[in-house]
Amino acid sequence: MSLLTVHQLYIYFRNKPIVKNIDFTVRHGEWFSLIGESGSGKSITASAIGGLLPKEMLIAAGHILFDYKDITHLSNKEFQKIRGKEISYVFQDYQSSFTPFIKIGKQLDEMIQAHCSLTKKERREIAFQALEDVQLPAKRVYDSYPFQLSGGQLQRASIAMAIMLKPKLLIADEPTTALDSITAAHVLEVIANIKEKINCAILFITHDLRMARKYSNTIAVMKQGKIVEVGTKESVIYHPSHPYTKRLLSAVPTIKRITSPTKRDLILQ
Amino acid sequence: MIHIAKRLIEFMLFLLLLSFISFIFIKLAPGDPVKQMLHVDEVSVTKEQIEALRDELKFNEPLYIQYWYWLKRFFEFDLGHSYITKQPVLSELLSRFPATITLTCASLIVMILISVPLGTLSALYKNKWVDHMSRLFALVGSSIPSFWLGLLFIELFAVKLGILPSMGKGTAKHIILPSLTLGIAMSAVYVRLLRSSLLEGLNEDYVKAARARGISEKRIFLFHVFRRSLIPVITIFGMSLGSLISGTVVIEVLFAYPGIGKMVVDAIIRRDYPVIQGYVLFITILIVMINIFVDICYRYLNPEIRLKGVERR
Repeated sequence: MSLLTVHQLYIYFRNKPIVKNIDFTVRHGEWFSLIGESGSGKSITASAIGGLLPKEMLIAAGHILFDYKDITHLSNKEFQKIRGKEISYVFQDYQSSFTPFIKIGKQLDEMIQAHCSLTKKERREIAFQALEDVQLPAKRVYDSYPFQLSGGQLQRASIAMAIMLKPKLLIADEPTTALDSITAAHVLEVIANIKEKINCAILFITHDLRMARKYSNTIAVMKQGKIVEVGTKESVIYHPSHPYTKRLLSAVPTIKRITSPTKRDLILQ
Repeated sequence: MIHIAKRLIEFMLFLLLLSFISFIFIKLAPGDPVKQMLHVDEVSVTKEQIEALRDELKFNEPLYIQYWYWLKRFFEFDLGHSYITKQPVLSELLSRFPATITLTCASLIVMILISVPLGTLSALYKNKWVDHMSRLFALVGSSIPSFWLGLLFIELFAVKLGILPSMGKGTAKHIILPSLTLGIAMSAVYVRLLRSSLLEGLNEDYVKAARARGISEKRIFLFHVFRRSLIPVITIFGMSLGSLISGTVVIEVLFAYPGIGKMVVDAIIRRDYPVIQGYVLFITILIVMINIFVDICYRYLNPEIRLKGVERR
């Protein structure tokens, strides 16, 4: 069952195509990873799905189907209803996930208010539950300003906000890139737990194959605005067909390669 | 508390230094009030009479001694008496002050009424006609000297149309032209400042994040952008208080508006030393107080400053 279908999508930036003829499908409850180097158009694609493209960019052709509805050319008002409730985002820059001078609790509350009509007490309960789901001390974080939290905590808080209203699709745009590897692993684990709990699909965007390897069901590889390879995790990682994927895989440092001497080392000896 | 005490001591030292400098400068200016006090133009006075009055006012003593006499009285909260009107300086200042405050507040209201809507519109409609109009307004507003603008207003509203009084105070009508003149002159800068500050705010990544949450554009603008954009505006406002005060002086003289600005200009012309000195101190205290207020605004607008002492949790 497909939740999100991107069909022959073209995105133009000042009359130049930056995303060319993209096709992929994310199924319900699936972890879909979109991998590619910086500038390959993966973040642009992610923005386009929620109608968050910058003004200078536009969808020139193609369709985006979400939950059997065509959302390619919705108005901003219509997108507002979907964003945060059906499709939600986690960004790379956790510092900017929250407005710096407003308490986190207030921002969570504001978001619930934007989408549902609930009493103050009910809203507070939802927010606390979401913060606990990402293993944060709910009350303290609720009453904190963003700058009072560490990077990992802030990223988890932004995940809490993203999953608070139980969206069907969570778009995680390089959520671990700005974090150190231990915190990144923890954040990944949190996302994986949440996915199980609320049974949402995840569109995971990264340039780092290692981040995609553990949890993905499907991997798509993007290069210069095109998807060059798409398939199950096993097929892409163990039997890559496109030369770019092979290069990408060989660029991942493994313990084996670091410890075993290379040909050059042997010659030098 | 320590913070406040420290600032208070700093302030006292600053006041002392400033009073000394202004005292010296006033005395260095040529001329003195003696002839005016004796009405030389109307009655004949002898050289002895002039010298006697100079002695009485201690003008023949060295400057630092004169300053010392002034300072001693200052610590008894006595700013002396005006040479011309013979009234205590403090009560003169206090009786004239409400008029100036009224003028300042009215001008600030005019300024806010112009610069907030115009700045906001020109940020929201960047490079559209509203923006071009506001750019033109800012350019014209900051190039026209306020006294000339005031003269134009007098010509138009008081002379040609005859609907507003051109001088004096008393009714609400009297405040309109002076405050309009000063308010327009001031708002020129703030329109552009608010515009650029808002544009910067709208480009922040956290605005994109708020959009991604489905928050409405109106709410984002009011709660996530506008508040932060006031910080640079308030900074510049705090720094330009001096020009606001000197602005009121020009306007008060132009419209013969009996505030403390008009009073000090008269005092300077007559070399009425105690009044000038009293004015300088009064304005200094006022500016410091407003700066403390600006500081408090800051802490409200940016909690990071307020909680700086708090450790990262």
